[in-house]
Amino acid sequence: MAVLNNLSCFRRILINSSSSRAYLSGFKSSITLEKLYPSSRLDITTIPKAPESKDRKFSGYIPMDKIQISYARSSGPGGQNVNCVSTKAEIRFHLASAEWIPEPVRVKLAEKVKNQLSKEGYFIVKSDRTRSQHLNLADTLDKLRDLIQSTAQSLVIPEISPETVERQRRLHERAARERLREKRAHSMTKQGRQSPTLDS
Amino acid sequence: MKSNPKAYKQPKRGRGIYGGGKHGAGNKGSGQRQNFMRLGYETGNNPFYLRVPKEPYYKGHHLKREYPPISLLQLQTMIDTGRVDPSKPLDLVALCNSKLFLLSPLEKQFGFQLTDEGLDNFKGKVNIEVQHASEQVIAAIERNGGVITTAFYDPVSLLAMRDPMKFFISGIPIPKRQTPPEDAIEYYTDPRNRGYLADPDLVALERFKLAQKYGYELPDLKNDPELAMLLERKDPRQIFYGLNPGWVVNLKDKKIFEPEDEKLLEYYKT
Repeated sequence: MAVLNNLSCFRRILINSSSSRAYLSGFKSSITLEKLYPSSRLDITTIPKAPESKDRKFSGYIPMDKIQISYARSSGPGGQNVNCVSTKAEIRFHLASAEWIPEPVRVKLAEKVKNQLSKEGYFIVKSDRTRSQHLNLADTLDKLRDLIQSTAQSLVIPEISPETVERQRRLHERAARERLREKRAHSMTKQGRQSPTLDS
Repeated sequence: MKSNPKAYKQPKRGRGIYGGGKHGAGNKGSGQRQNFMRLGYETGNNPFYLRVPKEPYYKGHHLKREYPPISLLQLQTMIDTGRVDPSKPLDLVALCNSKLFLLSPLEKQFGFQLTDEGLDNFKGKVNIEVQHASEQVIAAIERNGGVITTAFYDPVSLLAMRDPMKFFISGIPIPKRQTPPEDAIEYYTDPRNRGYLADPDLVALERFKLAQKYGYELPDLKNDPELAMLLERKDPRQIFYGLNPGWVVNLKDKKIFEPEDEKLLEYYKT
């Protein structure tokens, strides 16, 4: 058995600070991450680029620096905890100048929530669903994302194939014909209830 | 000297007019011939113990892994009071060395889980490795610029880790960590759980997604002065930071021995 006299060479040798690959303290087995994922960069520090909200589609990305977050005390029962701890989360942003929402979606949304906007035009979403501030914040963001997404969905006009258009036209025509037929039959019934005149 | 007559029952000997004779077995029949029906038998009809289905309350209980909890509140308190050093990576060894938490691997305890009590007030920046953590706990750690990993340790490794001094004194070579069992592999290879066997690139993506979900700006670790400490991770076969499997630590002479034999080296490396 070899004696490792020079312990310093097995101390943690610091990698150069510009590299941010996961540092392993020298020992590499056969199931190290490099072998499990050979094509990976093994870097957990990369921050991916935010997905863009193009055209009429909302990507789901909400920039945190563009919205204002505030906390307040929640309502309801709860004794000292609900009286003292700020668990209610509120986010607000100016809807008209929110560049991160696509223009057509923004317009539709403004129309949808026009009664809820503040005097200055701020849209506010609140939540005090749970006992935790952070979970409530997640809930508000979820609500906001859901709202914007449903608005974007409502703007999408689904493509209808010519066969379906043709079929719909045929069905409408058939329905109209049936209606008129029934109407005429009903008219005859009503006329039959009249007393006959000398002319007819 | 005699106790009162009712203090104990006199043994009934199988002899004489009171205990003898038929010895309590009656006359003829299966009773006297000691040929009894089995317990629960109801002379042919479907017996109670077969008719009523059993609820398997404890089925597989010996296979279920337990993870004693450590709350974020406790972790914050430990950091604040100096029981634990956040300037070094925290793992099971560090948590057990604080002597506040003890693990008993023999009672199916496979490590610690981080719970969300004290979620709102957690402010520590740590590189922590636990065995299980929920989503909001991961968010709380990453929000403060820390790194969390979930890792698996087999019971042999755990016995070494929970009291390292005692283990080193024993003179046993450091064992190699086994891979997780089948039902745990999915958990530890999932980047959402920050598993130690997950692809780090996918983990980076999940960090971003979680920041969006919980509403915080993801801290840029690249500009962090403690980057090297935060990124320090063990190999999947490693138990202690800085020590390889197969090494023998001699505390008295302050020496570490490593194997020279090729087969042993091969064994510890695979």
